[in-house]
Amino acid sequence: MTPWAYIPQLISAGITIGAIYALVGLGFVTIARASQIINFAQGEFVMLGGVITFFLLKRGGLPYPLAALVAVISVVIIGFLLHILVVYPLRKASIPILLMATLGASIFLSSTSGLTFGTLPKALPPFSGNQSLQIGGIFIVPQSLWVLGATFLLLVFLYLLSHRTLLGKAMEASSTDPLGADLLGISRNLMVFLAFGVSAGMGAIAGILITPIFYTSYNAGTMLGLKGFIAAVLGGWGKNSGAILGGFVLGAVESLSVAFIPSGYKDAVAFVILLLILYFRPKGILGSPYIDSRRW
Amino acid sequence: MSFLSVEEIIKNYDGVRALNQVSLHVQKGIIKGLIGPNGAGKTTLFHLISGMERPASGKIYFKGTDITSMEPCEISLLGVGRTFQTLQIWGNMTVVENVMAGMHTRIKGGFLSCGLWLPWVKRAEEEALKEAKEILEFLGLLGRWKWLASQLSFGQQKILEMGRAIAMKPELILLDEPAAGLTATEVRQLAERISQIRDSGVTILVVEHHMGMVMEIADEIAVLNNGELIAEGTPDVVRRDSQVIEAYLKSTRADA
Amino acid sequence: MVDSNQREFRKRDLFYVVPLWFLSLILPDPHLDHRKESRFRWRDLFYLGALLLLPLMWPDTHLHHLMVLAGINAILALGLSLFLGYTGQISLGHAAFFGTGAYTTAILTTRYAFPTLVAFLASALAAAALAYLIGKPILKLKGYFLALATLGFGEIFLVIVRESPNLTGGVIGIFGIPWFSLAGFSFDTYLKQYYLIWGVLIGLLLFSKNLIRSKMGRAFLAVAASEDAASTVGMKVAQIKIGAFVLGAAFAGFAGSLFACVMSTANPEAFSLSLSILIIMMVILGGMGNLYGPIAGAILLTWLVDILGKYQEYSLPIYGLILILLLISFPDGIGTRLNIRLIYLISYWGRKKRRERVEL
Repeated sequence: MTPWAYIPQLISAGITIGAIYALVGLGFVTIARASQIINFAQGEFVMLGGVITFFLLKRGGLPYPLAALVAVISVVIIGFLLHILVVYPLRKASIPILLMATLGASIFLSSTSGLTFGTLPKALPPFSGNQSLQIGGIFIVPQSLWVLGATFLLLVFLYLLSHRTLLGKAMEASSTDPLGADLLGISRNLMVFLAFGVSAGMGAIAGILITPIFYTSYNAGTMLGLKGFIAAVLGGWGKNSGAILGGFVLGAVESLSVAFIPSGYKDAVAFVILLLILYFRPKGILGSPYIDSRRW
Repeated sequence: MSFLSVEEIIKNYDGVRALNQVSLHVQKGIIKGLIGPNGAGKTTLFHLISGMERPASGKIYFKGTDITSMEPCEISLLGVGRTFQTLQIWGNMTVVENVMAGMHTRIKGGFLSCGLWLPWVKRAEEEALKEAKEILEFLGLLGRWKWLASQLSFGQQKILEMGRAIAMKPELILLDEPAAGLTATEVRQLAERISQIRDSGVTILVVEHHMGMVMEIADEIAVLNNGELIAEGTPDVVRRDSQVIEAYLKSTRADA
Repeated sequence: MVDSNQREFRKRDLFYVVPLWFLSLILPDPHLDHRKESRFRWRDLFYLGALLLLPLMWPDTHLHHLMVLAGINAILALGLSLFLGYTGQISLGHAAFFGTGAYTTAILTTRYAFPTLVAFLASALAAAALAYLIGKPILKLKGYFLALATLGFGEIFLVIVRESPNLTGGVIGIFGIPWFSLAGFSFDTYLKQYYLIWGVLIGLLLFSKNLIRSKMGRAFLAVAASEDAASTVGMKVAQIKIGAFVLGAAFAGFAGSLFACVMSTANPEAFSLSLSILIIMMVILGGMGNLYGPIAGAILLTWLVDILGKYQEYSLPIYGLILILLLISFPDGIGTRLNIRLIYLISYWGRKKRRERVEL
């Protein structure tokens, strides 16, 4: 079979991983909108979601849904701790220092995970069985549908949070005009704190969703985080819709590339896309409110 | 053609027309004041002249050359210096270094020759230092030449920024609210210094809210309001112009 | 600004012009040295002396090995400090230039039998050329996006190296790189390599000092503080950023070449993102806007990594933890007033608590 025949299958696989990139990208955007900080430990939240669930399931003997819930809560707590212990003390520091601090946190989280939970890759059982469904000639694992469904639900949740709840509106206000929001009694630090929690939670859920398909291990977080960031930039930095679109596009392109170039180069594809985007259209596909392309 | 010609400039910001067919001419060797209520578009005009923004339509000529779409550093090299309303001095360097950095283009040397500290680099540095100190003396900042620029008071920093602009030996300087935040004595000294700079052959275009100073030192004044030029002429003429008076009365009391 | 009375150049002028020039490099020049680090102080003689005598006072081979590595890291940190510490730009892909230097030397010496000195210079040139090519488009970016782009570049470099076994030996790397040799003298022990590497560092340090106290140093700082203002005085900001980037890469190329000659092998695992992060930490810890600081940071972090190595699997978590702690306690770097830093820190927290209560 020629490479072209594989395309539909590859695209569907790509969309699955793309949903995860989208969720990771959303995590970046959520924190960056609240605080202008890029949290390089974002990928670790995803990894920890999968790893902790595995641990609770296999070693703790908890039922699957409970294990997942406890894992998500734990990761949210870790996100809160990250803010309190690392980001808050450095809230006035310069960009390189904040960057290095989140990178340091990323190193700490990934290596501690390897230490505590072991370095072997871990896989979770799929939510509803292993039997592939066939839709129009493409084989889809049911887990993929769970991934897409859950992603959609999370998006709806985010939308409702930021547009319908007071808390969400407070977070929006704090990111658009920190001083003004502060004068109105919205504590910027609290908003950033919550943003970390929300991002951590989303990341953890993404991790639990994806581990049944692509197993996770202690150092999977780094690449995942970077690709999520690239996805957010690709789609249009600073916009939720940008992160989502970028995630799916990146996933699809990366998946398709395997048909045409040696698989060793797969990871480089994301970075090449990044460089192309940053060079030719830094605003991203949907445009970005944060980037003034004339100054680039 | 005048020294600096702004012709029929239109500038939009996201649907708001900041400048509407503004034309301005500055003759060589004079001090031209640019006044108007807040939000009239004065700093926008400066950004357009110095190359940081592009107009939607219209042209800007300096010494006969079309500078409308040139990059800021190209325009500076033609001989245009400026200061900033938001004060952009280099706080990580000393006072004298700020001025010497202003002379960057007039000092010879590239990366390798500076790194190897070739004899002519050393000589160039010594001469630059001497000249920088002379400029600081003219500005009254010589006593603090070794201070870190961020340690100066706000008013002194503004004067330092002007010194940096002079150091480039430009032919035209754009001063954006040089008197803001200065005490009365400092304003008087500033007025004197600006006149002296004009006397040494430099053309000056100054945006200012401090009416007293502008009326005193400017040879000509142009008045902007809501993105349009509403009056132009000598200070006496402008002072009596009814449109100008109305524009200022209508604007908020917070104006100087 | 050239001397107006042109004399005829006679050959014997060389005899006193060259030593005079060399002396002008190392003698103090107080009225031109506004930046503390470009001045030569008595402390420098002490450092020089300590550097020269250290390996002789402690004939421990392990220490020599460590100081050799520290020296290589110091060269890396010094180069990066021009770009990060002075010009204020972030590069997460610096290890790629280090790798370029190492592989250039490896290929030239093992396959084409070039003398190591030539390979040494060629390595720096290769790294500089690569930096120039990459820098032109990438340096238009700022802040996090520049960091991300340089990270991407570093990763792509690694992937290309791993996937080109014909050129670089792929994942296994290149073996059998000869010792560095100069006119028949071969640097084959850690002791000899120590003096070689720190000698190179001192030369590069002199170059950097001169650069910092000249107009280029001011240009770097100007770009870091306000690019808009810099373009207003006619500075070509893009050129300045690229210049700092290329210089940093050239230093890394030198370091890579020396590394290849010390380790005798070159393989991709040594040039990863973790190394880039480590070098940035050296610069940040040492202090931005400082030349000696990053060198001290290099020595410190090399020792730290060595000590941590003893803890095996706990090394990375502790490393991450220490990074974060160091960043929180020393956001301005340890290059300044290390001795009173602790006292200051303790009293600062007391004052901060009081101030925060008042400020609400």
